[in-house]
Amino acid sequence: MNISSKEEQRKITVLLVDDHPMVQGGLLACLEYYDDIDVVGLCNDGKDALNKVKKLKPNVILMDVSMPLMNGIDATEIITEQYPDTKVLIFSMHDSSEFVYSAIQAGASGYVLKDTSSEDVYHAIKSVVEGNRHFSSSIAKMLIEAPLKNEHDKLTTREQVILSHVAQGFSSKDIAKKLEISFRTVEAHRRNIKIKLKIECLADLVRYAINNGLVNHKNK
Amino acid sequence: MTLPLRMFYIAIVQVILTSFIIYYLVTSQYRELSDMNVKTLESFLIAQKEQELKNYTSIALSSVEHMYQLAEQNNQTNQTAVADIFKNMLYNGDDGYFFIYDDKGVAIVHPKEPERVGKNWWDLESDSGDKIIQILIENAHAGGGFYRYQWLKPSEKNKASKLGYSIYSKEWQWMLGTGVYLDDVYAQLDNLHQEIDNHINYTKQIILIVALSSIFFIFLFGIAVNLNNKKTAEAKISQLGQRIIDVQEEENRHISRELHDGIIQTLISIKYSLEATAMFLLKNKQQKPPPLKQAEESLGFAIKEVRRISHHMHPQILDELGLSSAIETLAIDFSKQTGVQINVNKPSLRKLLPDFINTTLYRVVQESLTNIKKHAKAKNVVINISIHDSWLTLTIKDDGLGFDINATTIKGNHGIGLRNLAERVEHHSGRFNIMSSEKGTEITVNIPTSSFTKDFPNTITKVK
Repeated sequence: MNISSKEEQRKITVLLVDDHPMVQGGLLACLEYYDDIDVVGLCNDGKDALNKVKKLKPNVILMDVSMPLMNGIDATEIITEQYPDTKVLIFSMHDSSEFVYSAIQAGASGYVLKDTSSEDVYHAIKSVVEGNRHFSSSIAKMLIEAPLKNEHDKLTTREQVILSHVAQGFSSKDIAKKLEISFRTVEAHRRNIKIKLKIECLADLVRYAINNGLVNHKNK
Repeated sequence: MTLPLRMFYIAIVQVILTSFIIYYLVTSQYRELSDMNVKTLESFLIAQKEQELKNYTSIALSSVEHMYQLAEQNNQTNQTAVADIFKNMLYNGDDGYFFIYDDKGVAIVHPKEPERVGKNWWDLESDSGDKIIQILIENAHAGGGFYRYQWLKPSEKNKASKLGYSIYSKEWQWMLGTGVYLDDVYAQLDNLHQEIDNHINYTKQIILIVALSSIFFIFLFGIAVNLNNKKTAEAKISQLGQRIIDVQEEENRHISRELHDGIIQTLISIKYSLEATAMFLLKNKQQKPPPLKQAEESLGFAIKEVRRISHHMHPQILDELGLSSAIETLAIDFSKQTGVQINVNKPSLRKLLPDFINTTLYRVVQESLTNIKKHAKAKNVVINISIHDSWLTLTIKDDGLGFDINATTIKGNHGIGLRNLAERVEHHSGRFNIMSSEKGTEITVNIPTSSFTKDFPNTITKVK
């Protein structure tokens, strides 16, 4: 009993997030052959994942991108912001660099294509748990050819939401309460936004948000 | 024939008919009325002249009345004296004079034609065959009467219409006559006729002008209506075309999503099932059989194919990451294929735009890049996307050969594509501009943010 519980502890807990039950089933069938992997949960969309993460606190999340309600990249951003110990491994059909960049920006630890073998998926899970980054070989090749350069200038979805709230006149405290994150996280986001947009003061920040349509000023 | 065109012809025919009827009625009535007036005037003038003649004659007679008293004493002498008096009795200038003939037609007094005196004119005939002198004498015997005939007008030395009046003097068996020339009356009447004709002509002209201008206005109106109809028809066609494209894009997107989310995912699950099978065999110390390997390979190929088709129909990235990411990907692929250097400048935001704007702008970039690949021979391409002052602006600029905008919008294969795109942009109340020279081509699309800001709240909530 003791031994087995110790073994249980050593197992990597994995949450599968995918809106296709068949894919989940297929992958699950493969991962069951690896003794050190324990699939602790299955979810169908990003929102569902946010709830399950709270309860299950898995080591790794295998996250699909295209999903209803909330897509995998937006979910990744929120999860990595709130649960830094949980590693997110994107598991997608999309192989264009923009998806990869967005995933990296959102805080994903790796990016695995769905048409890679289950063995690769297994290695990727092991790798990210150890704190490394892991990419499917074709993705890695793409990243080497066209490394991330100006992509840091682009706001993430989360940052965009926060900017929109700031422009609507909410304080950091209000935003923290509303989005259920810490005050410090909001402040960190605000700093990042200012750096990315190269904007110093609040007035310019609000003007930028209005100019770019983040606030529908007609309704305000 | 369309209904407006038929109405238009009916209106013109009606105007022409109405004009004719009005012309006919007005002129005939007017002429009738004027003729009546002229006749009245004529008889009035003639009556006036007749009264004049009677007056002259009675004055003339009364002036010689005292001679009658003496006549019985010395007829011959007195006759001569009276004749002399009458000879000198003139009025109306040269044209008013008295003439005297005896019963046999011999002229006794004729101050303007003295050569006639003493000769017999009993059988003198007018051009129409009337025995002038006989009629005058007859009228005189009847107690005085009027007769119209042609006679020499002294002041003009030619024949003119004359109204003669003759009475009979029993004492001397004379016919005393005088007359007025009617040519001035006729001239006056002619004048009147002329004026009436002028007036009718004038009326005719006015009716003609009114009719012509009516036709002209109907014509203008018809053209305006036709143009307007044509314009609305064209707008409807264009709108319909855009709707077809919208529906097509929506359908493509739907099928693409079905392929991506349905079939591909199923294929992937099969792939993992095959892998699980292989692992199961391995666990039981069995080699992977070649057909299983073959199946895995074929499956991989199938997945790639379906993905390619799905992507071709609608790029999923547009829905997942928004326009700038989709364009960036397009640019990277383009660079890889052609070796053309391509730069994309885009805002730091994403997923702000509604789907229809996304798709339209994506297609603009796609079509432009296709054109550049086919025709431009460019080395560099710059794509800019920005939102400024309530305008969303997309520009695609290359340093290629350029092309003649006017020529290619009519014929040539890349003109049609661009024109379709222009129509699509305009459909979303945007503006589409092409500038092209030998230094390159720049395509600009401007869309007012007002045409999609109503979607912003949705976008924001979606982002949250």
